[in-house]
Amino acid sequence: MNMERLLAVLLRYGVWLASLAIGIGLAVALASSAPAGMRIVAIGIGLFILLPSLRVLLMLAVFVRARDYRFGLIAALVLAIIVLGLAVGMHTPEARPA
Amino acid sequence: MDSGFTLWLFAVSVGASALGGMLGMASGIFIVPILTMFGHVDIHTAIGAGIVSVIACSCAAAAPFLEERLTNVRLAIVLETATTAGALTGVLLAGIIPISVLFFLFAVILLLSAQQMMAKRSEVIFRSGENGRWASLHSSYPDRVLGREVSYQVDRLRLGMILMYGAGMISALLGIGSGVLKIPAMDTALRLPIKVSSATSNFMIGVTAAASAGAYFMRGNIVTAIAGPVALGSVVGAIAGARILMVVSNDKLRLLFVVVLVALAIQMLLAAFGIQLIKTAT
Repeated sequence: MNMERLLAVLLRYGVWLASLAIGIGLAVALASSAPAGMRIVAIGIGLFILLPSLRVLLMLAVFVRARDYRFGLIAALVLAIIVLGLAVGMHTPEARPA
Repeated sequence: MDSGFTLWLFAVSVGASALGGMLGMASGIFIVPILTMFGHVDIHTAIGAGIVSVIACSCAAAAPFLEERLTNVRLAIVLETATTAGALTGVLLAGIIPISVLFFLFAVILLLSAQQMMAKRSEVIFRSGENGRWASLHSSYPDRVLGREVSYQVDRLRLGMILMYGAGMISALLGIGSGVLKIPAMDTALRLPIKVSSATSNFMIGVTAAASAGAYFMRGNIVTAIAGPVALGSVVGAIAGARILMVVSNDKLRLLFVVVLVALAIQMLLAAFGIQLIKTAT
Protein backbone atom coordinates (compact mmCIF):
# COMPACT_ATOMS: atom_id res chain seq x y z
CA MET A 1 0.00 0.00 0.00
CA ASN A 2 1.44 3.42 -0.90
CA MET A 3 1.58 6.31 1.54
CA GLU A 4 -1.47 8.08 0.09
CA ARG A 5 -3.66 5.01 0.64
CA LEU A 6 -2.31 4.45 4.17
CA LEU A 7 -3.00 8.07 5.10
CA ALA A 8 -6.48 7.90 3.56
CA VAL A 9 -7.30 4.80 5.66
CA LEU A 10 -6.00 6.39 8.89
CA LEU A 11 -7.90 9.64 8.33
CA ARG A 12 -11.11 7.94 7.17
CA TYR A 13 -11.37 5.61 10.18
CA GLY A 14 -10.08 8.27 12.57
CA VAL A 15 -12.82 10.66 11.46
CA TRP A 16 -15.45 7.91 11.75
CA LEU A 17 -14.36 7.03 15.29
CA ALA A 18 -14.19 10.65 16.49
CA SER A 19 -17.54 11.55 14.85
CA LEU A 20 -19.18 8.45 16.32
CA ALA A 21 -17.97 9.41 19.81
CA ILE A 22 -19.29 12.99 19.41
CA GLY A 23 -22.61 11.77 17.94
CA ILE A 24 -23.21 9.20 20.69
CA GLY A 25 -22.11 11.67 23.36
CA LEU A 26 -24.43 14.40 22.08
CA ALA A 27 -27.34 11.94 21.86
CA VAL A 28 -26.76 10.82 25.47
CA ALA A 29 -26.38 14.42 26.66
CA LEU A 30 -29.55 15.59 24.88
CA ALA A 31 -31.61 12.59 26.02
CA SER A 32 -30.61 12.41 29.66
CA SER A 33 -28.40 15.45 30.36
CA ALA A 34 -26.08 13.06 32.16
CA PRO A 35 -22.47 14.27 32.51
CA ALA A 36 -21.31 11.03 30.86
CA GLY A 37 -22.62 12.31 27.50
CA MET A 38 -20.43 15.42 27.48
CA ARG A 39 -17.45 13.34 28.56
CA ILE A 40 -17.87 11.14 25.47
CA VAL A 41 -18.13 14.29 23.31
CA ALA A 42 -14.89 15.56 24.88
CA ILE A 43 -13.18 12.26 24.00
CA GLY A 44 -14.31 12.68 20.39
CA ILE A 45 -12.93 16.24 20.26
CA GLY A 46 -9.66 14.99 21.77
CA LEU A 47 -9.46 12.32 19.04
CA PHE A 48 -9.92 14.98 16.34
CA ILE A 49 -7.12 17.10 17.84
CA LEU A 50 -4.87 14.03 18.00
CA LEU A 51 -5.61 12.79 14.47
CA PRO A 52 -3.35 15.20 12.48
CA SER A 53 -0.41 14.34 14.75
CA LEU A 54 -1.04 10.62 14.16
CA ARG A 55 -1.04 11.36 10.44
CA VAL A 56 2.40 13.05 10.71
CA LEU A 57 3.65 10.12 12.84
CA LEU A 58 2.50 7.67 10.14
CA MET A 59 4.30 9.73 7.47
CA LEU A 60 7.45 9.71 9.63
CA ALA A 61 7.28 5.89 9.89
CA VAL A 62 6.77 5.47 6.12
CA PHE A 63 9.67 7.82 5.27
CA VAL A 64 12.03 6.09 7.71
CA ARG A 65 11.06 2.65 6.38
CA ALA A 66 11.76 3.85 2.83
CA ARG A 67 15.15 5.17 4.10
CA ASP A 68 14.06 8.66 3.06
CA TYR A 69 15.75 10.23 6.10
CA ARG A 70 15.53 13.79 4.80
CA PHE A 71 11.73 13.70 4.73
CA GLY A 72 11.71 11.65 7.93
CA LEU A 73 13.55 14.49 9.63
CA ILE A 74 11.08 17.02 8.20
CA ALA A 75 8.13 14.99 9.59
CA ALA A 76 9.88 14.74 12.99
CA LEU A 77 10.34 18.52 13.00
CA VAL A 78 6.60 19.08 12.38
CA LEU A 79 5.76 16.69 15.26
CA ALA A 80 8.21 18.51 17.53
CA ILE A 81 6.57 21.88 16.76
CA ILE A 82 3.10 20.44 17.58
CA VAL A 83 4.39 19.09 20.93
CA LEU A 84 5.97 22.48 21.61
CA GLY A 85 2.51 24.02 21.00
CA LEU A 86 1.07 21.85 23.81
CA ALA A 87 3.82 23.04 26.15
CA VAL A 88 3.22 26.69 25.18
CA GLY A 89 -0.53 26.28 25.87
CA MET A 90 0.20 24.83 29.29
CA HIS A 91 2.54 27.62 30.33
CA THR A 92 0.94 30.74 28.86
CA PRO A 93 -2.23 32.44 30.16
CA GLU A 94 -5.48 32.47 28.21
CA ALA A 95 -5.52 34.95 25.31
CA ARG A 96 -7.31 38.19 26.15
CA PRO A 97 -7.01 40.54 23.17
CA ALA A 98 -8.64 43.96 23.50
CA MET B 1 -27.77 21.61 27.49
CA ASP B 2 -29.92 23.54 24.96
CA SER B 3 -30.96 21.13 22.19
CA GLY B 4 -32.10 23.98 19.87
CA PHE B 5 -28.72 25.70 20.07
CA THR B 6 -26.91 22.37 19.55
CA LEU B 7 -28.97 21.74 16.41
CA TRP B 8 -28.29 25.30 15.16
CA LEU B 9 -24.54 24.84 15.69
CA PHE B 10 -24.70 21.55 13.77
CA ALA B 11 -26.71 23.00 10.85
CA VAL B 12 -24.51 26.11 10.49
CA SER B 13 -21.40 23.91 10.48
CA VAL B 14 -22.80 21.62 7.76
CA GLY B 15 -23.49 24.59 5.47
CA ALA B 16 -20.19 26.32 6.18
CA SER B 17 -18.05 23.26 5.56
CA ALA B 18 -19.91 22.19 2.42
CA LEU B 19 -19.04 25.57 0.90
CA GLY B 20 -15.51 25.47 2.33
CA GLY B 21 -14.93 21.93 1.10
CA MET B 22 -15.86 22.90 -2.46
CA LEU B 23 -13.13 25.55 -2.37
CA GLY B 24 -10.61 23.38 -0.55
CA MET B 25 -11.02 25.61 2.47
CA ALA B 26 -12.06 24.74 6.00
CA SER B 27 -15.23 26.09 7.58
CA GLY B 28 -13.51 28.05 10.36
CA ILE B 29 -13.47 31.16 8.23
CA PHE B 30 -17.29 31.12 8.12
CA ILE B 31 -17.95 29.54 11.52
CA VAL B 32 -15.99 31.95 13.73
CA PRO B 33 -17.83 35.11 12.52
CA ILE B 34 -21.24 33.32 12.55
CA LEU B 35 -20.72 32.02 16.11
CA THR B 36 -19.67 35.44 17.43
CA MET B 37 -22.20 37.57 15.49
CA PHE B 38 -25.32 35.35 15.46
CA GLY B 39 -24.62 32.81 18.22
CA HIS B 40 -23.28 35.42 20.69
CA VAL B 41 -20.46 33.04 21.58
CA ASP B 42 -17.35 34.48 23.27
CA ILE B 43 -14.61 35.14 20.68
CA HIS B 44 -12.08 32.78 22.28
CA THR B 45 -14.63 29.97 22.48
CA ALA B 46 -15.53 30.63 18.83
CA ILE B 47 -11.85 30.49 17.81
CA GLY B 48 -11.45 27.23 19.77
CA ALA B 49 -14.49 25.72 18.02
CA GLY B 50 -13.22 27.06 14.68
CA ILE B 51 -9.87 25.34 15.13
CA VAL B 52 -11.53 21.99 15.96
CA SER B 53 -13.81 22.43 12.94
CA VAL B 54 -10.77 23.08 10.72
CA ILE B 55 -9.22 19.79 11.87
CA ALA B 56 -12.51 17.94 11.30
CA CYS B 57 -12.94 19.43 7.79
CA SER B 58 -9.35 18.72 6.82
CA CYS B 59 -9.38 15.09 8.01
CA ALA B 60 -12.86 14.32 6.64
CA ALA B 61 -12.15 15.66 3.15
CA ALA B 62 -8.60 14.31 2.93
CA ALA B 63 -9.25 10.64 2.09
CA PRO B 64 -10.91 11.12 -1.34
CA PHE B 65 -8.27 13.70 -2.38
CA LEU B 66 -5.49 11.29 -1.38
CA GLU B 67 -7.10 8.42 -3.28
CA GLU B 68 -7.52 10.62 -6.40
CA ARG B 69 -3.79 11.51 -6.09
CA LEU B 70 -4.58 15.24 -6.02
CA THR B 71 -2.68 15.77 -2.74
CA ASN B 72 1.10 16.29 -2.88
CA VAL B 73 1.99 14.80 0.53
CA ARG B 74 5.74 15.43 0.24
CA LEU B 75 5.20 19.10 -0.51
CA ALA B 76 2.63 19.23 2.32
CA ILE B 77 5.03 18.00 5.01
CA VAL B 78 7.74 20.45 3.87
CA LEU B 79 5.33 23.39 3.97
CA GLU B 80 3.89 22.20 7.32
CA THR B 81 7.19 23.04 9.05
CA ALA B 82 6.43 26.67 8.15
CA THR B 83 2.67 26.59 8.90
CA THR B 84 3.07 24.95 12.33
CA ALA B 85 5.89 27.35 13.26
CA GLY B 86 3.56 30.18 12.21
CA ALA B 87 0.74 28.69 14.30
CA LEU B 88 3.04 28.62 17.33
CA THR B 89 3.84 32.30 16.78
CA GLY B 90 0.11 32.99 16.45
CA VAL B 91 -0.62 31.29 19.79
CA LEU B 92 2.04 33.47 21.44
CA LEU B 93 0.76 36.65 19.76
CA ALA B 94 -2.93 35.92 20.49
CA GLY B 95 -2.93 38.11 23.61
CA ILE B 96 -1.10 41.07 22.03
CA ILE B 97 -2.75 41.89 18.70
CA PRO B 98 -6.30 43.33 18.91
CA ILE B 99 -8.79 41.18 16.98
CA SER B 100 -10.26 44.23 15.20
CA VAL B 101 -6.88 45.02 13.62
CA LEU B 102 -6.53 41.40 12.49
CA PHE B 103 -9.99 41.33 10.91
CA PHE B 104 -9.16 44.51 9.00
CA LEU B 105 -5.78 43.16 7.84
CA PHE B 106 -7.45 39.93 6.82
CA ALA B 107 -10.02 41.77 4.71
CA VAL B 108 -7.18 43.47 2.80
CA ILE B 109 -5.42 40.12 2.24
CA LEU B 110 -8.70 38.55 1.01
CA LEU B 111 -9.23 41.34 -1.53
CA LEU B 112 -5.63 41.04 -2.78
CA SER B 113 -6.12 37.27 -3.16
CA ALA B 114 -9.34 37.82 -5.12
CA GLN B 115 -7.51 40.22 -7.43
CA GLN B 116 -4.71 37.67 -7.96
CA MET B 117 -7.21 34.96 -8.81
CA MET B 118 -8.97 37.14 -11.36
CA ALA B 119 -5.75 38.29 -13.01
CA LYS B 120 -4.33 34.83 -13.57
CA ARG B 121 -6.58 32.89 -15.90
CA SER B 122 -4.35 30.20 -17.41
CA GLU B 123 -2.47 27.55 -15.49
CA VAL B 124 1.28 27.11 -15.84
CA ILE B 125 2.14 23.96 -17.76
CA PHE B 126 5.80 22.99 -18.31
CA ARG B 127 8.99 24.77 -17.34
CA SER B 128 12.63 23.70 -17.27
CA GLY B 129 13.68 22.07 -13.99
CA GLU B 130 14.58 24.43 -11.16
CA ASN B 131 14.88 23.67 -7.44
CA GLY B 132 17.25 20.75 -8.14
CA ARG B 133 17.50 19.82 -4.45
CA TRP B 134 13.73 19.63 -4.16
CA ALA B 135 13.07 17.80 -7.41
CA SER B 136 11.30 15.04 -5.40
CA LEU B 137 8.46 17.50 -4.80
CA HIS B 138 7.54 17.61 -8.49
CA SER B 139 4.61 15.33 -9.30
CA SER B 140 1.59 14.72 -11.49
CA TYR B 141 -2.14 14.22 -11.00
CA PRO B 142 -4.99 12.72 -13.04
CA ASP B 143 -7.33 15.48 -14.25
CA ARG B 144 -10.90 14.22 -14.69
CA VAL B 145 -12.08 17.18 -16.75
CA LEU B 146 -9.13 17.00 -19.19
CA GLY B 147 -9.14 13.19 -19.02
CA ARG B 148 -5.34 12.84 -18.79
CA GLU B 149 -2.37 12.90 -16.40
CA VAL B 150 -1.04 16.44 -15.81
CA SER B 151 2.61 16.89 -14.73
CA TYR B 152 3.63 19.89 -12.63
CA GLN B 153 6.66 21.32 -10.90
CA VAL B 154 7.04 23.15 -7.63
CA ASP B 155 8.35 26.68 -8.11
CA ARG B 156 9.73 29.36 -5.77
CA LEU B 157 9.69 27.19 -2.62
CA ARG B 158 11.30 29.85 -0.39
CA LEU B 159 8.58 32.42 -1.15
CA GLY B 160 5.98 29.71 -0.60
CA MET B 161 7.45 28.87 2.84
CA ILE B 162 7.35 32.53 3.94
CA LEU B 163 3.70 32.86 2.88
CA MET B 164 2.88 29.57 4.65
CA TYR B 165 4.41 30.87 7.89
CA GLY B 166 2.06 33.87 7.68
CA ALA B 167 -0.90 31.62 6.87
CA GLY B 168 -0.13 29.44 9.92
CA MET B 169 -0.01 32.50 12.15
CA ILE B 170 -3.36 33.85 10.90
CA SER B 171 -4.85 30.34 11.28
CA ALA B 172 -3.94 30.20 14.98
CA LEU B 173 -4.96 33.79 15.70
CA LEU B 174 -8.40 33.66 14.07
CA GLY B 175 -9.33 29.97 14.40
CA ILE B 176 -9.47 29.51 10.64
CA GLY B 177 -7.74 27.13 8.25
CA SER B 178 -6.18 29.95 6.26
CA GLY B 179 -6.79 27.85 3.15
CA VAL B 180 -7.84 31.16 1.69
CA LEU B 181 -4.22 32.30 2.11
CA LYS B 182 -2.58 28.94 1.45
CA ILE B 183 -4.28 28.38 -1.90
CA PRO B 184 -3.21 31.71 -3.44
CA ALA B 185 0.28 31.09 -2.04
CA MET B 186 0.45 27.70 -3.76
CA ASP B 187 -1.27 28.99 -6.88
CA THR B 188 0.83 32.09 -7.49
CA ALA B 189 4.09 31.44 -5.58
CA LEU B 190 4.58 27.70 -6.07
CA ARG B 191 2.55 27.76 -9.33
CA LEU B 192 0.64 24.52 -8.71
CA PRO B 193 -2.47 23.43 -10.63
CA ILE B 194 -5.51 24.73 -8.70
CA LYS B 195 -6.86 21.26 -7.85
CA VAL B 196 -3.50 20.18 -6.48
CA SER B 197 -3.23 23.36 -4.41
CA SER B 198 -6.81 22.92 -3.11
CA ALA B 199 -6.25 19.29 -2.09
CA THR B 200 -2.79 19.91 -0.61
CA SER B 201 -4.02 22.96 1.28
CA ASN B 202 -6.92 20.96 2.73
CA PHE B 203 -4.46 18.27 3.79
CA MET B 204 -2.17 20.80 5.50
CA ILE B 205 -4.72 22.86 7.44
CA GLY B 206 -5.44 19.96 9.84
CA VAL B 207 -1.84 19.73 11.02
CA THR B 208 -1.53 23.52 11.15
CA ALA B 209 -4.70 23.73 13.27
CA ALA B 210 -3.50 20.86 15.50
CA ALA B 211 -0.45 22.94 16.47
CA SER B 212 -2.69 25.66 17.95
CA ALA B 213 -5.56 23.34 19.01
CA GLY B 214 -3.25 21.64 21.50
CA ALA B 215 -2.40 25.00 23.05
CA TYR B 216 -6.05 26.20 23.11
CA PHE B 217 -7.15 22.86 24.58
CA MET B 218 -4.62 23.29 27.39
CA ARG B 219 -5.80 26.88 27.95
CA GLY B 220 -9.43 25.72 28.24
CA ASN B 221 -10.63 27.63 25.16
CA ILE B 222 -12.20 24.55 23.59
CA VAL B 223 -15.73 24.22 25.04
CA THR B 224 -17.20 20.74 24.56
CA ALA B 225 -20.86 21.79 24.20
CA ILE B 226 -19.96 24.13 21.32
CA ALA B 227 -16.99 22.44 19.64
CA GLY B 228 -18.79 19.03 19.64
CA PRO B 229 -21.76 19.84 17.39
CA VAL B 230 -19.56 22.13 15.25
CA ALA B 231 -17.04 19.32 14.63
CA LEU B 232 -19.77 16.81 13.75
CA GLY B 233 -21.47 19.25 11.35
CA SER B 234 -18.11 20.08 9.76
CA VAL B 235 -17.48 16.42 8.94
CA VAL B 236 -20.85 16.06 7.18
CA GLY B 237 -20.41 19.30 5.21
CA ALA B 238 -16.78 18.68 4.28
CA ILE B 239 -17.55 15.26 2.76
CA ALA B 240 -20.35 16.76 0.63
CA GLY B 241 -18.20 19.71 -0.48
CA ALA B 242 -15.25 17.56 -1.51
CA ARG B 243 -17.48 15.40 -3.73
CA ILE B 244 -18.55 18.53 -5.63
CA LEU B 245 -14.92 19.72 -6.09
CA MET B 246 -14.05 16.53 -7.98
CA VAL B 247 -16.57 17.15 -10.78
CA VAL B 248 -16.40 20.95 -11.21
CA SER B 249 -13.98 22.46 -13.79
CA ASN B 250 -11.06 24.69 -12.79
CA ASP B 251 -12.53 27.87 -14.32
CA LYS B 252 -15.83 27.57 -12.46
CA LEU B 253 -13.92 26.88 -9.24
CA ARG B 254 -11.79 29.98 -9.76
CA LEU B 255 -14.84 32.19 -10.33
CA LEU B 256 -16.63 30.81 -7.25
CA PHE B 257 -13.45 31.35 -5.28
CA VAL B 258 -13.26 35.03 -6.30
CA VAL B 259 -16.92 35.61 -5.34
CA VAL B 260 -16.40 34.04 -1.90
CA LEU B 261 -13.16 35.95 -1.32
CA VAL B 262 -14.89 39.29 -1.97
CA ALA B 263 -17.91 38.35 0.17
CA LEU B 264 -15.60 37.36 3.04
CA ALA B 265 -13.60 40.58 2.70
CA ILE B 266 -16.78 42.64 3.18
CA GLN B 267 -17.76 40.45 6.14
CA MET B 268 -14.33 40.89 7.72
CA LEU B 269 -14.40 44.68 7.25
CA LEU B 270 -17.83 44.84 8.92
CA ALA B 271 -16.54 42.70 11.79
CA ALA B 272 -13.51 44.96 12.27
CA PHE B 273 -15.75 48.03 12.25
CA GLY B 274 -18.25 46.41 14.62
CA ILE B 275 -15.62 45.47 17.17
CA GLN B 276 -14.17 48.99 17.06
CA LEU B 277 -17.64 50.45 17.72
CA ILE B 278 -18.07 48.28 20.80
CA LYS B 279 -14.60 49.27 21.98
CA THR B 280 -15.35 53.01 21.78
CA ALA B 281 -18.75 52.50 23.43
CA THR B 282 -17.35 50.77 26.52
